[in-house]
Amino acid sequence: MAGITLKNVVKTYGPEATVIPGMDLEIRDKEFLILVGPSGCGKSTTLRMIAGLEEVSSGELYIGDRLVNDVAPKDRDIAMVFQSYALYPHMTVYKNMAFGLELRKTPKEEIDSKVREAAKMLDLERYLDRKPRSLSGGQRQRVALGRAMVRSPEVFLLDEPLSNLDARLRTEMRSQIGELHRRLQTTFVYVTHDQTEAMTMADRIAVLKDGVIQQADTPKKLYNEPCNMFVAGFIGSPQMNFIEARLEKGEGDDWYLNSGALAMQVPSGRFSGERLQKYAGTTIIVGIRPEDVISVDSHRYKESDGLIRGQVQTAEMTGAEVYLTILTSGGSRVMARVSSRIMPQVGDEITLAADGDKLHLFDRETEQAIR
Amino acid sequence: MQKTLRRYAAVFVLPTAVAFTVAFLIPFLMGIYLSFTEFTTVTNAKWVGFSNYLRVFRDSSDFTNAFWFTAKFTVVSVVLVNLFAFSLAMLLTRGIRGTNVFRTVFFMPNLIGGIVLGYIWQLIINGVLSWFMVDITFSASYGFWGLVILMNWQLTGYMMIIYIAAIQNIPSDLLEAAAIDGASPRQVLRNVILPMVMPAVTICTFLTLTNSFKLFDQNFALTGGAPGRETAMLALDIYNTFYGRVGYEGMGQSKAVLFFIMVAAIAYLQLRATRDREVENA
Amino acid sequence: MTGKEKKAARRVLFVWLVFLAAVFVAPILVVLLNSFKGQFYITDEPFRLPTAETFVGLTNYAAGIAKTGFWQAFGYSLFITVCSVGVIVLFTAMTAWYITRVKSRPARIFYYLLVFSMIVPFQMVMFTMSKLANMLGLDNPAGIVFIYLGFGAGLSVFLFSGFVRAIPEEIEEAAMIDGCNPIQMFFLVVFPMLRPTAVTIAILNTMWIWNDYLLPYLVIGNKYKTIPIAVQYLQGGYGSRDMGALMALLVLSIVPIIVFYLTCQKHIIKGVAAGAVKG
Repeated sequence: MAGITLKNVVKTYGPEATVIPGMDLEIRDKEFLILVGPSGCGKSTTLRMIAGLEEVSSGELYIGDRLVNDVAPKDRDIAMVFQSYALYPHMTVYKNMAFGLELRKTPKEEIDSKVREAAKMLDLERYLDRKPRSLSGGQRQRVALGRAMVRSPEVFLLDEPLSNLDARLRTEMRSQIGELHRRLQTTFVYVTHDQTEAMTMADRIAVLKDGVIQQADTPKKLYNEPCNMFVAGFIGSPQMNFIEARLEKGEGDDWYLNSGALAMQVPSGRFSGERLQKYAGTTIIVGIRPEDVISVDSHRYKESDGLIRGQVQTAEMTGAEVYLTILTSGGSRVMARVSSRIMPQVGDEITLAADGDKLHLFDRETEQAIR
Repeated sequence: MQKTLRRYAAVFVLPTAVAFTVAFLIPFLMGIYLSFTEFTTVTNAKWVGFSNYLRVFRDSSDFTNAFWFTAKFTVVSVVLVNLFAFSLAMLLTRGIRGTNVFRTVFFMPNLIGGIVLGYIWQLIINGVLSWFMVDITFSASYGFWGLVILMNWQLTGYMMIIYIAAIQNIPSDLLEAAAIDGASPRQVLRNVILPMVMPAVTICTFLTLTNSFKLFDQNFALTGGAPGRETAMLALDIYNTFYGRVGYEGMGQSKAVLFFIMVAAIAYLQLRATRDREVENA
Repeated sequence: MTGKEKKAARRVLFVWLVFLAAVFVAPILVVLLNSFKGQFYITDEPFRLPTAETFVGLTNYAAGIAKTGFWQAFGYSLFITVCSVGVIVLFTAMTAWYITRVKSRPARIFYYLLVFSMIVPFQMVMFTMSKLANMLGLDNPAGIVFIYLGFGAGLSVFLFSGFVRAIPEEIEEAAMIDGCNPIQMFFLVVFPMLRPTAVTIAILNTMWIWNDYLLPYLVIGNKYKTIPIAVQYLQGGYGSRDMGALMALLVLSIVPIIVFYLTCQKHIIKGVAAGAVKG
């Protein structure tokens, strides 16, 4: 059982190609940590460095207390599940799972019991004698998991394992993997580009951009307290609305005005007056999630909430809710997610409110959150 | 994996590399060097510059004759073999009873070695010619056509297999569409089938071309070059230069270098032609 | 075409194909028939069936075998072919895998040299190579296996490389994590996945080496005979040649290859078509 520590880990492929400029990350033992981010952000590279499939250019990588920079993958006590499953096509399911143990000269009975135990847990017992090509995608996925499980490693590494499955299977497998984590009580490091997956499965999420960790926190914290615009925009679907607004000082409290989209008072208590002072009279970015753009009939509505007026551009009904795009008189586009009881039509004029308790403020240049 | 694998280079690469160097690379380089020398054994070589190359053309017309003979033979063979092979392939893709047996029969000659082939046909051709009181060594054109017949017998089956695979790969909806459009069989052939099997045509042309141009065993057995050296193709001529008499080794080597250059040129031209055509089709 | 017309057309086609097939098989039959005739009755009238007068039973075969030491020749051909093909398939697969995975300069240069060697005609190297083989003591059946490896490397590495590239690297990475060292990786994971290609390459090389005349003749010809050399041996010399023995020997030469073909037919045909695509 082991945690993983990265200390100023750098990855370069040459003088002009630094993929990861210097990463510090603590992954706790038994934790389910997900690395998430857009394509090319370095999440797979990080995972592969932990696995030993890529060399650490500089910095230190620890698994448990061991410095493993120069340790071969097979000696790191890790197991990996690949996006394409990477099953051995010429071996049966049984052999696929037993292979790693055979290489380590594990006694036959032990191999047999371990393989069958894993097969039982993953509902693969019927398929032990089959070859991968006669299995479906979901079944192959489970064999890949079984192959990893059977070795009882200290760390499980999973590289976008669900990306090749159809949507329904994905949801099913998500819960299976979560269940597996609970049963095995082992550290899981998981990579995905799908933020929904990350939000539903992780203990903690590390959001990456251009090889740099933007924020590593619990899903709840990432959602409620994103530290910059990138994280705020990446987490949560549909994406958070970003509206430019001028921050003006009023009497006592600050309030701000927008070029037509929004006008409201900044709720006291959530933001430090000192910090706000620095931005007085300047343009900052206001972030409000579509689900926090509420109907004035909603029970969440308070008088202090700013109003958003505009014309409905698009309305997509998803059953219980409607996703609306509103064009405000100032020319901004705001997306809202409201209950479908309202049922506005395209072209309607509509008035919604921004829930003041859920406001986020960002520095326009640095994109950092203002707290 | 790269790093660990590199340490095992000795196991994975060395045997092949050593064998390659000894059996090919060194002889090749030595061959080039020796073509500029006069020698009887490898050790007593005397540098003579290009004189060997000049002698190739001046001393006798053997090489030049061999070249023309080879060139004519190659052109004729390429055309005939591909024509027959393609026709047979068209016939054997109709799903007739016994297609597999026919395929086996037509392909079989390809398995037989060149020397054996040469003697088989020598027997038959001489047998036919004996009716006219001559044999294959009577005239160079007998030898020429004898070789052509032999070549067709040997290669048609092989090329046919490639054409069959290509024809079978034509998506059936293309053919159905053509049928619906009312195309006659000839039109289907010209406008659908031929364009679709072009890659196979390229490959088969290349294979027949190189096989014909480099032919040795069959030539050696069927005619031995007779009458005189008239039916000697390039490969046989080079062999005769080396082993026919003493003292011509340097010239033999320079003939070999010229031969190599010709083959390389053909390969290069073919490559260019294919690439251009592929770009066209893309 | 109506159904009836189609049927008739098919029948015509069938007859035509039977005719062609007969034409194709005829030469072999002619040789076979002649092998049972006395040696002086062959050259002039090769198309005449053996009569009571001309029939000599297996005399030609006995003579042919004795004059050329056919059984030894068969043994040498078998040994050389089997060993060479085995050696080639094993070592070129290993080399192809190494070259494809390790992208170092020397590896790439070696690859280009190998591909280059496919174009060079044998005549270019035959003299120097046979002399070199002689100097290094390789002029024996074991040595010639080594030479065939060097010669066959080009095509085989080229074909293998194409298929190695098609193996997803993730499978090798999984094997690495499972605990393979390079040797285990190659034999337990990579080579089994290359099996279909290996069969094709084995067949291509077998057909080449079994029927090869010039290379063995120059390298080991004066001391050892393979079947093609044995056949040519009957021809050599300026004296008369025993046509009967020659016929018998031709038949004996063809039999093994036909047996080989009939057993591996499916693979051979598949290999020919596939190899051509790669070409």
